[in-house]
Amino acid sequence: MADNLAASAELVKLARALGTTQDEIAFTTPLGAAGIRLLRERVVGALYDEHRAAFRRVAAITRTLPMPVNVRITLRAFPPLLAARVAGEMTPERAAELANRLPVEYLAESCVHLDPRRAAPLISRLDPDRVLAVVVELVDRDDFVTLGRLLDAASEKLLAHLAAAISDEALLRIGCYAESGAQLARAIGVLTPERLRGIVRTAVTGPPDLRAAGLATIGRLDDDLLRGRLAEYAASASDDVLTAMLHTALDEGAVAEMLSAVAAMGEDAQRRVVSLPALGDEAVRTRLVDAAADLGLLPILAPLDALRSS
Amino acid sequence: MRSDVRDKLRAWLGDDLTFVEALPDDELARLCAALEAARRGQAKALATASDEAVRQMPAPLRGTIGKILGR
Repeated sequence: MADNLAASAELVKLARALGTTQDEIAFTTPLGAAGIRLLRERVVGALYDEHRAAFRRVAAITRTLPMPVNVRITLRAFPPLLAARVAGEMTPERAAELANRLPVEYLAESCVHLDPRRAAPLISRLDPDRVLAVVVELVDRDDFVTLGRLLDAASEKLLAHLAAAISDEALLRIGCYAESGAQLARAIGVLTPERLRGIVRTAVTGPPDLRAAGLATIGRLDDDLLRGRLAEYAASASDDVLTAMLHTALDEGAVAEMLSAVAAMGEDAQRRVVSLPALGDEAVRTRLVDAAADLGLLPILAPLDALRSS
Repeated sequence: MRSDVRDKLRAWLGDDLTFVEALPDDELARLCAALEAARRGQAKALATASDEAVRQMPAPLRGTIGKILGR
């Protein structure tokens, strides 16, 4: 298990791509989150490209058959794994026409196997209600890795629908595995202030894994203003809640994510966080100050910087 | 890095392997083995799915689809 939250999420995704466990590939941890991600992207490319010729030939056959026949053959003969690989070789228009006629459960299972490089043009052509139904099905299955990938393929309009349709907890867990911080920011940025406050409350008052998901989500956002808004909501929580978040960050390797959130707060909120009694512990204080220095955040974390000499 | 491991990784992951060069030789060999296992696992899963597809096909299409899927 990686000692860094972002690297842990990438290990989960690499293990999924390789069909193995995180323990089996824990040796890749020194590559860091960015290196593991790059490795995964190359692995996914290699695996999906390997049998393309055969799937392309099947896709060619589907062009000669009427769509109702394709639907019948797909449901009767093609397991979702095969259907997803063939769909990746069809034109997005034709694949969407087929997918729009398949049952939601079948589509959800197919999404797990869909080539991520070909997902966006297909998903953008699907009936939005069907995409929402697939998302709900994947949430029911706790398949947040696939959902993190689908988020990347969703149009802006679809993102707004998706974020409104799923629970705070599901959104936070998807945030953990989101491929793109910009897409995640778009999905969250369209929500109302009340909903955003609710999501933050769900994160900070949740169990440790949900608190970690909250930190991962806020750390992934590609929008400092939005990060600042969420962080300010969090800063209004009680000392006990903020202390629990601090310990989650320290225990789960999410110090960078937490510091990015604190750095995005206004100075009053920063002072509130830095005055937590837990920072009276020199080991904790030193760890935070050193991490902030490593991340180049001390110049915008004046209250934390001031602790260096205390 | 051992040359056979390097050659295999290059063939699968591309010529530029700088992003994995931080790993020592024995771990690169483990990565290579993990990739080989993934390729075998994928081939097996696709073969099982293809056999099932051919079995379920209407009889007139069975031969053609089986040939296309390499079964």
